[in-house]
Amino acid sequence: MKRKQWGRSAISLMIISGLILGGCSSGTGGKKDTAPEGAASNAVSKEGFPIVQEPIKLKMFTRIAPVNGPFKDMPVFQDYEKMSNVQVEFIEAPTDGFQEKKNLLFASNELPDVLYRSGLTPLEAVRYGAGGQLIPLEDLIRDYAPNLTRLMEEYPEIRAAITTPEGHIYAIPGIVTLGSARTDKKWINRAWLEKLKLQVPETTDELYDVLVAFRDQDPNGNGQKDEIPMTARVGLHIVTMMSGSFGLDQQFGYNINIVDDKVEIWMGSERNKEMLMYLNKLYKEKLLDPEVFSHTEAQYLAKQGSGKTGVFFDQTNNNFLPIADQYEGMAPPAGPHGDRMQSQASPVPRDPGAYAITSENKHPEASIRWIDYFYSDEGSTLLRFGREGEHYELKDGIPYYKEEYSTSETQPKITPYAGGGAPHLISEQVSSYINPPQVQDAQKKLDPFMPEIRYAAPMFDEKTAQEVNILRNDIDKYYEEQSTKFIAGALSFDKWEEFQSTLKKMKMDQLQQLYQDAYDKMKK
Amino acid sequence: MSQRTPVNKTRHTAKDERCFDIVIYSVAAVIMLIVLYPLLFVVSASFSDPAKVLGGEVWLLPKGVTLDAYINILQNDKIWTGYGNSILYTAVGTTINILMTLLAAYPLSRPDLPLRKGLMLIVTLTMFFSGGLIPTYLLVKDLGMVDTMWALIIPGAVSTYNLIVMRTYFQSSIPWELQEAAHIDGCSNWRLLISIILPLSKPILAVMVLFYAVGHWNSFFNALIYIRREEMYPLQLVLREILLISQSDAVDGSVGLEDKVLLAESIKYAVIIVSSLPVLIMYPFVQRHFVKGVMIGSIKG
Amino acid sequence: MNNMEAPPGANLPPSRPNRGSRLLVQMAKRYDLYLMLLLPIAWYLIFHYGPLYGLQIAFKNFNPAKGIFGSEWVGFEHFTRFFDSYYFWRLLRNTLTINLISLLLAFPIPIMLALLVNEIRSKAYSKWLQNITYIPHFISVVVIVGILTVMLSVNGPLNMLIQTFGGDPVRFMESASWFKTIFIGSNIWQNMGWQSIIYIAALSGINPQLYEAAKIDGASRMRRIWHVSLPGIVPVIVILLILDVGQFMNIGFEKILLMQNNLNLEASDVISTFVYTTGILKGEYSYTAAIGLFNSVINLTLLLLVNRFARKTSETSLW
Repeated sequence: MKRKQWGRSAISLMIISGLILGGCSSGTGGKKDTAPEGAASNAVSKEGFPIVQEPIKLKMFTRIAPVNGPFKDMPVFQDYEKMSNVQVEFIEAPTDGFQEKKNLLFASNELPDVLYRSGLTPLEAVRYGAGGQLIPLEDLIRDYAPNLTRLMEEYPEIRAAITTPEGHIYAIPGIVTLGSARTDKKWINRAWLEKLKLQVPETTDELYDVLVAFRDQDPNGNGQKDEIPMTARVGLHIVTMMSGSFGLDQQFGYNINIVDDKVEIWMGSERNKEMLMYLNKLYKEKLLDPEVFSHTEAQYLAKQGSGKTGVFFDQTNNNFLPIADQYEGMAPPAGPHGDRMQSQASPVPRDPGAYAITSENKHPEASIRWIDYFYSDEGSTLLRFGREGEHYELKDGIPYYKEEYSTSETQPKITPYAGGGAPHLISEQVSSYINPPQVQDAQKKLDPFMPEIRYAAPMFDEKTAQEVNILRNDIDKYYEEQSTKFIAGALSFDKWEEFQSTLKKMKMDQLQQLYQDAYDKMKK
Repeated sequence: MSQRTPVNKTRHTAKDERCFDIVIYSVAAVIMLIVLYPLLFVVSASFSDPAKVLGGEVWLLPKGVTLDAYINILQNDKIWTGYGNSILYTAVGTTINILMTLLAAYPLSRPDLPLRKGLMLIVTLTMFFSGGLIPTYLLVKDLGMVDTMWALIIPGAVSTYNLIVMRTYFQSSIPWELQEAAHIDGCSNWRLLISIILPLSKPILAVMVLFYAVGHWNSFFNALIYIRREEMYPLQLVLREILLISQSDAVDGSVGLEDKVLLAESIKYAVIIVSSLPVLIMYPFVQRHFVKGVMIGSIKG
Repeated sequence: MNNMEAPPGANLPPSRPNRGSRLLVQMAKRYDLYLMLLLPIAWYLIFHYGPLYGLQIAFKNFNPAKGIFGSEWVGFEHFTRFFDSYYFWRLLRNTLTINLISLLLAFPIPIMLALLVNEIRSKAYSKWLQNITYIPHFISVVVIVGILTVMLSVNGPLNMLIQTFGGDPVRFMESASWFKTIFIGSNIWQNMGWQSIIYIAALSGINPQLYEAAKIDGASRMRRIWHVSLPGIVPVIVILLILDVGQFMNIGFEKILLMQNNLNLEASDVISTFVYTTGILKGEYSYTAAIGLFNSVINLTLLLLVNRFARKTSETSLW
């Protein structure tokens, strides 16, 4: 509880001092007034606030989600401007069209100072960085970003995921240390289990039996066969959710197993065939939602909220809150070879390319210091929750939204976290809302089966990145289409060898080698 | 078709005519039914409980009647700003479109215009080759039109397709003899265009107004690229923003996303109705100009 | 029936020896026509021909940092990458068949609808028909696909109907064999009314005296359609056909993308969706430009062929 006190007073202290300094900074000379007049005299302090004595201006290009309101009205940016003496002018581009606008900024060289919540892909970061439009950040981070540095030491995979083979960092990711924000829980309808006097399934065979019971024994008691035993997000989400039971991991954000420092792309493996045959059995017997390859996100969420579903997958319980007590989380079932793994899990650097500084920026040091604050618990609290007393209250040192900021209308207006991809730290401290007890419990079921380390998609150099991109275009498309057909029974398993040989023809071995090289380089 | 006085009044043809009418009217009725059913669905869906629409329970009449969708739209300021913007862009844009297309189509329809083939080729080729997004963007930027209404209007001032259609109409529906006669009377080309061609071109002008106006009304891509200030967004962009609640918004479980998604799902039908209204209203006025007989009296003999 | 044919002398300007100066004289005489053309042609040059230098990125590795001129040349690399793609032939096949079927089915229907509207004597009735059939044009593709999904789902109305007649429910949206039917059928449904507008306008431009004359000659309604209405709009039909063929390789990607899933990909994978998913979404401007250029060349070739054919047979052509 000590920590809470400290954090609390630190915030208020900083806000107050920010107010004072912001209010009367014009006349007072700073400590470092020795330098000549002009921008140079406005030295960037290495710690504490304000960041600069004389106010500076930064132009940030950002994505704004349909749920958000204007950034300038958010308490975090209003307060932080006073605190830091950095005035930020946001150029807001809506999610729809953001990708186009972002690329055009680079293509036409109309660069802002900073890209905020920009979702730069590793390929983009490398391309624009190598071209000199983004500046390398590694030295700045070392000198001006204590919070980030600490996180990167604690979680080495962060550095590995964002550093190019030449040793440069061109963009900073959103960092998620909270395990629960990196997994989709396996939700099962406990009310149905109880009614049918069944146990939570521990193996894939038991899961099959439970699903059969859900289908046949009318667990919702309305006399109709309207139950959907199991469903998932559209497409191959079901594969990522089940692959851990068949010993198939998801390293590097791809279909990759790493065993004894050997990288294996498992798409053509026997284990994968076993999994697809299992899923095919579920699909054929209508245990798996027949619409799983065609329904929309909206329909999927509606199914979650309808209570007619036996098993489904999601990060939180937010989408089925009214009936949430019917459900509980379950552990991954053990597969035919005893594998039991939660293979679906995002890496700690979850949102890549969230913050980057361009060559136009005249205050790179201040810009780094500006963002670093949000990689601390206090900063993240300010970002996610706003002002204490006004937007949130502390209970046992943990911030909770006030009632009026817990709705889909109000909350996204006060914080840029809603809508995803904002550069900040998501830790246990700031996750009361996304990690309520029910979700925590569901995560606890997964915890023993989480992979030890989760590698994010590696940084290749520009040429290799392009090569990977070209190889994966064909391979991924082929894999997804054929897997879907195998599961749906549109393709018989007699064709398995043809599937394997086509993957070979598409140079899957070469792709595997590229990932192996990246892995080896990382290990060094 | 008021003075229909059949000359060959034999019983045989009269009966034929009636059969023909019956066939025509019933085919038309079938077509209307086929088209109407899904339209009725949209209307019903806009008054229904969104969960019931998603669940496939609505297929003709509204289920769980509610006006939420419309109330939601009425309360949304952004939609009204968008409405105003779209009307402005459509009005100014269409006026410029019509002027430019007319100025290009008429001379190019003249068989006596030297170099006509070459000019047509220049125009037609543009349907196939474009420099792509980046050079066009740079051009618009250099002309200082980014974030202004003109970025939505000037780069699309002429549609080659419409130009060709209009030119074809001039060539095929306005007798060349008429123009030659006017020439002999000492009429200049401008006079010819204004006092002879235009009055004879009402049907095609009506179509062009409709095509261009609807094009402006429905377009969003240019605004997506060139417009930054939200208060300048046209209606379609506002609507897309409301409808475009995607999976990415679900990251970290944004509050009550299900409500949002369902709302988007429900208002999308009401939005169709609200946003199509101006054009639906416009059509009958435009259609008035498709009347027959514009040529009567203009032709010498 | 004179008025719908190409004007006499249209294609044979008086060309005698001393062509150059004659041409100048001809041009000077009609200087006001060029005055009219001044603004549009200037616009074409600035907004269409000006940016054409951007085409070179199809032969370069476009790098935003270096700009269009600074990027390095790679020759036909992007073209070979496309032709060597595992999916090239499937993309080509689907693109061509969807367009061919559309041309055979979807092109004539608006013409027939316009003729139908023209034949209805009751003004009110024909107005209703027009007003109703053109509405679907305004429904966005997102909603169209939404409606299709509801109508064609396993427990949707159509499958109910099939089941009452003892059939087995069909997964329309998840079947490769149904995809083209659904796609083209719904396109016709959505656009026939809108596309008929041009023909209706053209029909209204036909001199009523021609109908009267035909009637006096004792021609039946069918014969009048065949000999007066149809020839009256042939130039418009031919031009629209030429333009349609000239867009043969382009299919709008939005609707297909929304209908696409891995189970119907065999039939729904077309060049435009491929460009969108592997090119535009990933910011691969060069690759996209190369595929676009490939499309354009084929389209233009088709256009020139059809145009030549049309000029020979119907005396109507683009130039």
